[in-house]
Amino acid sequence: MRKDVVYEANRSFNPVFRQKKSIFKVIKTVFLITFSFCMIYPLYWLFISAFKSTDEFFQFPYALPSEWTFDNFVRAWNLADLGGAMINSTVVTVVGTIFTVFLGALTAYVLSRFSFKWKGFIMLFFLLGMLIPIHSTLVPLFSIMNEIGMLNTYWALILPYTAFELPIAIFLITAYMSSIPKEMEEAAVIDGAGYWGIFFRIMLPMTVPAMATVAILAFLRYWNEYIFALVFINDASLKTLPLSLSIFSDGYSTDYSLTMAAMAIAVIPTVIMYVFFQEQIMKGMVAGSVKG
Amino acid sequence: MQDILKAKHWIIISLLPALLLYTFIVIVPIFWSSYYGFFKWSGMNEPSFIGWANYLEVVNDPIFWRALKNNMIIVVASVFGQVPIALLLALMLRQTTLFQRFVRSAVFLPTVISTVVVGLIWGYIYNPEFGIVNALLEMIGLESWTRAWLSDPDVNMYAVSIPIIWNYIGPYLIIFIAAIQNIPTEIEDAAKMDGANGFRKLFYITLPMMWTTIKVAVVLCISGSLKAFDQVFVMTGGGPAQSTELLATYMYNNTFMTYRYGYGSAVSTMIIIVSLILILISQILMKRKEEKGMGI
Repeated sequence: MRKDVVYEANRSFNPVFRQKKSIFKVIKTVFLITFSFCMIYPLYWLFISAFKSTDEFFQFPYALPSEWTFDNFVRAWNLADLGGAMINSTVVTVVGTIFTVFLGALTAYVLSRFSFKWKGFIMLFFLLGMLIPIHSTLVPLFSIMNEIGMLNTYWALILPYTAFELPIAIFLITAYMSSIPKEMEEAAVIDGAGYWGIFFRIMLPMTVPAMATVAILAFLRYWNEYIFALVFINDASLKTLPLSLSIFSDGYSTDYSLTMAAMAIAVIPTVIMYVFFQEQIMKGMVAGSVKG
Repeated sequence: MQDILKAKHWIIISLLPALLLYTFIVIVPIFWSSYYGFFKWSGMNEPSFIGWANYLEVVNDPIFWRALKNNMIIVVASVFGQVPIALLLALMLRQTTLFQRFVRSAVFLPTVISTVVVGLIWGYIYNPEFGIVNALLEMIGLESWTRAWLSDPDVNMYAVSIPIIWNYIGPYLIIFIAAIQNIPTEIEDAAKMDGANGFRKLFYITLPMMWTTIKVAVVLCISGSLKAFDQVFVMTGGGPAQSTELLATYMYNNTFMTYRYGYGSAVSTMIIIVSLILILISQILMKRKEEKGMGI
């Protein structure tokens, strides 16, 4: 590290090199600012447009609103029944996330702490699920659910969401549990605790960080999920936010600022989550995808 | 003995819920759809066995092949869009200053946005009346380039690829930043001492050290972009005249719009086969390159 500093210092005595370096730095900074702007712009445009009247939107589509009004938000909320959609999305997302975390942790506990004959096979079996394109299961799932009368219920979304998220949940939590030393459990066994006791009182509390990552990932995925909701939910009163949005935008296809307001309402919860749990979301998504 | 039995019992009971749920929802449908691919079935009547007819119809349908080709466009656009951009950014974002952290957050932001919103908002961005793409082209004097980006069959596949690229640069950026941070500082220091700098260090040290990660990213990118549906479905629905049809939209439009569940099952099976072949090919290609890389 020390040598590094000396080395850099020597080089920066050379004026040409220094100048070249600073030009390079300026180019880099300009590039990064421009690029970030392009990444944020669509969302920025969404939010400013949501505050404009439709006339103003057509006249000055890119300017800031001349006056900031919440009319669009109120109208979109009422017309699209976004309140109902938000409740549906919340129910499906929360119940699905709880299922995912609990089943993931339980399975991970068994896979990380017990050795048995079929263990390797079961791990591989769960791994396989990450290769399967979700949309190729739509037709059979639709027929099966139709058969057992599960279409147009919350379960039609909760169960598939959980099932498809399980592999990632299991791998993330298993990896974390394997790194926890076994002393605590051994002490608990001596104290006469059963497996459920160990799982609930020792393993779960110690695995909270991994479970939090899984929960955040599951939450985002379920909240934003579209294709299952599109196929399995027809009942207007059960529609989730993404589904309501796509239908609403068809129905009010010319009232752009109204649709923008509806979208803004749907996006706000995830943006808030992002602001608070940024690091965890980034790390979790990467860990989840690399494991796959 | 009692303990072993108890443990066995417990293992079975605690594995069962996850295994059952996963098996019935993720695994069984694959076999189910390859089986129902042999039937003519509208969802209402009794399915009737028609042999290979559905599968033959799929492979003889030019639209299926167009959908496959379009899917390949998305795959290629993602691999050559997301991975190099993410890599370039990662090389620039090695510090943890406030500015660099801001850029990182900005790049990752689209990943958490609902894909439906992404589709809708990009639909507006491409809108010929008020979309910013045409407005920018006019501003810089390229009126002749303006067009209806999503309905012109010459360009609309490329137009729908851009939002997908935009959507998922973030995860690859984070993967690459982590990989760069994992390069031991001794190696970098040694390279500097030997006078390797700038591009030479990049090509002889940094990139070779990241090669495994780049491979993983490419494979992830291929399997991820094969799943593309939401954004394109919301932007174009596969149209106009099926010019932006992807495998997933083709399956959806042929099953749930026309009530041909047998045919849809056959398409689903083909999607699984195509995905597995592509993932296999990408794995093999990557492996061969690695051997070559080792030789250098």
